[in-house]
Amino acid sequence: MRSHVEQIQSIQAMLAAGHRCVELERHSLLLWGLVGGGLCAFTDLAINPDRFPDNTQRAIALFLWLAVWLGGMSWLDHRLTRQARQAREETLPFAQAQITRAWWMLLALGTLSTFAMFFHGGGDMIYALWTVLLGLGIFFFGLFSRPLIEWIGLAAILLGIAGLASGLSMNGARWLTASSFAIGLPFAGWLSARTDDSHAGRRILAVALWLAVVITPALAATRLVPTASVPTPTTATLNLPAGTILPLHIDMNSTLVTISPESSVPVRVTRNTEIALTDGQPDGRYRFDQGSWHAIKDGVLYLRIDRIRPKLDAGKPEIRMHGDFAFKGE
Amino acid sequence: MTALPVLDPLLHQPVRTQIAAYLAGRGEATFAEMKRTLGVTDGNLDAHLTKLLDAGYLECRKETSTAGRPQTVFFLAPMGRKAFATYVANLSALLPTKADAQSSLASPDPIPNPTH
Repeated sequence: MRSHVEQIQSIQAMLAAGHRCVELERHSLLLWGLVGGGLCAFTDLAINPDRFPDNTQRAIALFLWLAVWLGGMSWLDHRLTRQARQAREETLPFAQAQITRAWWMLLALGTLSTFAMFFHGGGDMIYALWTVLLGLGIFFFGLFSRPLIEWIGLAAILLGIAGLASGLSMNGARWLTASSFAIGLPFAGWLSARTDDSHAGRRILAVALWLAVVITPALAATRLVPTASVPTPTTATLNLPAGTILPLHIDMNSTLVTISPESSVPVRVTRNTEIALTDGQPDGRYRFDQGSWHAIKDGVLYLRIDRIRPKLDAGKPEIRMHGDFAFKGE
Repeated sequence: MTALPVLDPLLHQPVRTQIAAYLAGRGEATFAEMKRTLGVTDGNLDAHLTKLLDAGYLECRKETSTAGRPQTVFFLAPMGRKAFATYVANLSALLPTKADAQSSLASPDPIPNPTH
């Protein structure tokens, strides 16, 4: 009778080994880590409003940029994986082939969403979206690999959501996504190869270590890497003390209303603001209360119009618009 | 009194059971993959694969890698898949149920084990 029990246990172990047969190659983790991290860190240098002033042009350029890098890397990874498997006289399991296709779909979804955000808004959550997509990809692979990979995938998904929910700055979210790719992916493979994940306690410890290793460099980069070049002592700056009133000119494309270019709304600055000047004109760099310098193109200034309401004021119709204009660089 | 289920003698061997179970879970595998997973020698694995192939439980196909080296990919034939499912069902039927385990605890085995 005991041999029957052992036989059943042996069958269960082999069935599990057969089902969880997906193995991520070392080159896959390194390639995707480098490309994902590199795209997060350097895309703004290649695709920015200085090079592509028009919104549509910039959207198309970024779409092509992402499509070339991610598409090329998908092709290269697939080819290297097949070669590695054949060199080891192994086949690519059916499950792995299917999950690889799902991974490509996630990358396509991320690329299309990035493109769509230029026209439909939501750009402040772009890095959170990519972190969640990365987490989903890791989770899918983990379903047919080791439970620890599954857990790391879930941790990455929660990390992306937590970053967004906690109001993490655009710059912080960017470094967090870069770190999740560049450090998180290779480290997940390293941890998986060296951790006995049969106990939930060890898995929790491994996931906590993974989170610490991913979050710490991201936080350090957020603090240490300046988001805008600091003006030299000779650079002219303009101080706007709190309470200064500025005219806000609104330039709006609309087929419904027109705004006179001469009209403006007076706005009062609520923080001591310093702006850098180049050739006598503001060059887009600014700082508040003697803090660190930022640039308009960093995307840490956040404008959202969330309510438009028609009203009658003393019998006269008017439109009231409510918006949030905030600084997310702290 | 019901007859005890009969276990397929071809599959009722640890290595061959493991081969069938692994292929049932994975779909297909090469010789090298099975050798690594099962931890057996080339000769041992080859002998068991030959028996399963001869019985029609397994099928195989040749693939040529980009390096030009041929490799054989093994997978369960429909007959092998059916035989494996029957084998697992019969083996499960032979396992003690919870009620059996409780009754054996209540009334110890009257035949003493000579090894104790």
